[in-house]
Amino acid sequence: MRRTIGIGLVALAAIGSLLSTAAAADKIRVVATIPDLKALTEEVGGNLVEVESLARGTQNAHELEIRPSLMLKLRRADILIENGLELDSWADVAVEGANNPKIARGAPGRVDVSRGIQVLDVPSTRVDRSMGDVHPLGNPHYSLDPGMAPIITENIVEGLARFAPEQRATFEKNRQAFLARLDEAMARWTKAMEPLKGAKVVVYHPQWIYMLSRFGLTQAATLEDRPGIPASPAHLTRVIRQMKEERIKVIIVEPWNDVKLATRVADEAGAKAVVLASMVGGVKGADSYIAAIDHNVNALVMAMR
Amino acid sequence: MRALVLVFVFLCTVLAPAAATAQDPATLRREIEQLQKQLQSVTERLQRLEAQPPAPAPAPVAAPGAPGVAAPPPPSAIDLARPRQPYSLYQQRGSGQLLFDIGIAGDFVGNITQFNVQKAQGGTFSGQENRFFPREIELALLGQIDPYASAVVRFEAGQSGRDPETNVSLAEANFTLLALPYGTQAKFGQMRNRFGYTNEIHEHDLPWVDRPNVMRYFLGDEGLVENGVEMTLVPDLPFYVQALFGVFNGDNGTAFGAGTLRQPLYTGRLRTFFELGLEHGLQLGMSVAAGPTTESFPNTILGWEGRYKYRPDGWLHPLLTVTGEALYSLREFNVQTDTDGDGLIDSIRKVEKDRFGWYVGAEVQPSRRWAGGFRYDSTQYPQNPGYEWAIEPYVTFWPSEFLRFRLAWKHTDRTSRDGWNNNGGSARQVDEVLFQGSFILGAHPAHPF
Repeated sequence: MRRTIGIGLVALAAIGSLLSTAAAADKIRVVATIPDLKALTEEVGGNLVEVESLARGTQNAHELEIRPSLMLKLRRADILIENGLELDSWADVAVEGANNPKIARGAPGRVDVSRGIQVLDVPSTRVDRSMGDVHPLGNPHYSLDPGMAPIITENIVEGLARFAPEQRATFEKNRQAFLARLDEAMARWTKAMEPLKGAKVVVYHPQWIYMLSRFGLTQAATLEDRPGIPASPAHLTRVIRQMKEERIKVIIVEPWNDVKLATRVADEAGAKAVVLASMVGGVKGADSYIAAIDHNVNALVMAMR
Repeated sequence: MRALVLVFVFLCTVLAPAAATAQDPATLRREIEQLQKQLQSVTERLQRLEAQPPAPAPAPVAAPGAPGVAAPPPPSAIDLARPRQPYSLYQQRGSGQLLFDIGIAGDFVGNITQFNVQKAQGGTFSGQENRFFPREIELALLGQIDPYASAVVRFEAGQSGRDPETNVSLAEANFTLLALPYGTQAKFGQMRNRFGYTNEIHEHDLPWVDRPNVMRYFLGDEGLVENGVEMTLVPDLPFYVQALFGVFNGDNGTAFGAGTLRQPLYTGRLRTFFELGLEHGLQLGMSVAAGPTTESFPNTILGWEGRYKYRPDGWLHPLLTVTGEALYSLREFNVQTDTDGDGLIDSIRKVEKDRFGWYVGAEVQPSRRWAGGFRYDSTQYPQNPGYEWAIEPYVTFWPSEFLRFRLAWKHTDRTSRDGWNNNGGSARQVDEVLFQGSFILGAHPAHPF
């Protein structure tokens, strides 16, 4: 009897193991550090991938709380897609707690999609922390510019194809289909933003430079005293004066930042504070890459009317 | 001219076959295929760029926080055609880059207390009562050794006692094998043991000015820092569990002290995490450390830990954090007895003492710059009779994420003066004002939960 039970248990364990292996083998398990990269990976990978994001759209991607639940996601990942440029360097701590060699730094499953990006705000002089939480490698928020999507998705195709080379053609086909949809949307966005060319805006955190550059707008000031440093009253007074003098109509604020403060400053300066999706899922309805850019363009156009 | 042509023809004749033979046909074929793919990719991108309306030049940035920051020129066709390396091991940091990170953390603390307490050296920072001193200046070097392992080396300098001399020591030096199979990792070297929640944390990163009393009494002022190996296992389960097993020398003189692998110190820990919706997180853990003392008697310390955080969605910081730990020590001692009072030891007998201590702390952080909280400690002494409790409310102020100030008041109440009455002083009841200033220069890894 004992032997029968023993054999039964071993068989159950074996079947369970086989079933779990088969289920896992169905799709490539991808984890992206931020929701933008999750959305773009889903576009490229289609039904061949299962993608999770470590950060949520409403969070500040610069400083994520490293919960063990993130490690759990990474424990099973075949591929980790990261933004790079030190935006998501916190992922190293999560990877270390995941005990998954497939995505350790330097492993084929670690994909940095910033390769080939023409990085803006690259310091041309010596930088230090007196300038705030500056990014020595340049501004890492390139995914907010839809014009960067071809390069990002190309890197994603390369990363996925390293894991599943036989599916490269499918990934590339999915990518082209997505880029075609993006091209259509880009024409719409370019037309909508055309009247705003040359306009100045104030941003809360300097993360919109790629998007502003794409559509010809200018970042006149930031509400943060310096990147990552909370605003002092003296700095806010200067910004309000500048907004009045230069007739700046809009303050762009991220969902995770102090919207109340931005609204107060905007009221003082006779402008509007507009919350844009700093990542996919950052605001209601921005649940895909194109929907997020759609929201940002529409909200900006409405606010600057 | 004719001579030049002859030289050119000669060089082509000599060098061309050499170059051709240097690589075998299969390699050349692969390279040609690779180049064809790159050409095709670049052609597609050029076509796409040509089809798009011309992008405006990057807007001038007037951000006051980014002086000297300039947008690079738009990419040329040569830039686009240049092959990229999507999988290089390290991010590009310009010429002369270091292949590892360097960070410095400075932690200065001060305290003001009663003169009696100073005489008895019974304050939180024993021997440093009514002083301001550098507790821990840490130089950390960290990075990847190769694709299979990472390393951390930390040197610490600080003052102990009233001696103004600064002592420099090796705080940690270890490497972790990251490429082991079956969800395992191994860490070798000198390390702060992953025993409970706070033991792993360096002084400057603690959520309070001082290390909790139970940790200091049971494991010493520095905590458990050992030489040996730690193995961790994260099984592929639907929930997070990390199991740890370690073997060490057992150099810690407060709790163990045998200091030999013939009678090693064994450690273990089980840690799990519950994500209670998007806003709540709860980490629970159990630890054990078992090894011989300097007298070769067994000592086993059991630990339980819990940490809860409530972070409203989208907040940059938690609103509420609650942390608690409890330690239970089962230790054997020799007790010497002078039965007739003649000053000579009449009998020595072995006894087992079970000792218990715990703390709980809560912190509320309503804004990015300010937080306030308290910690309550209650602990027996691991070797001596009696116990003490303490309460420590505090406020923390962060001008930025790299600079922090903390002010606390701590009241400690002990059951007896015995052991706390050195030099004619008394530290049975202690009131202390504690203050702390900490900074971070350079690299500092993100903090775990």
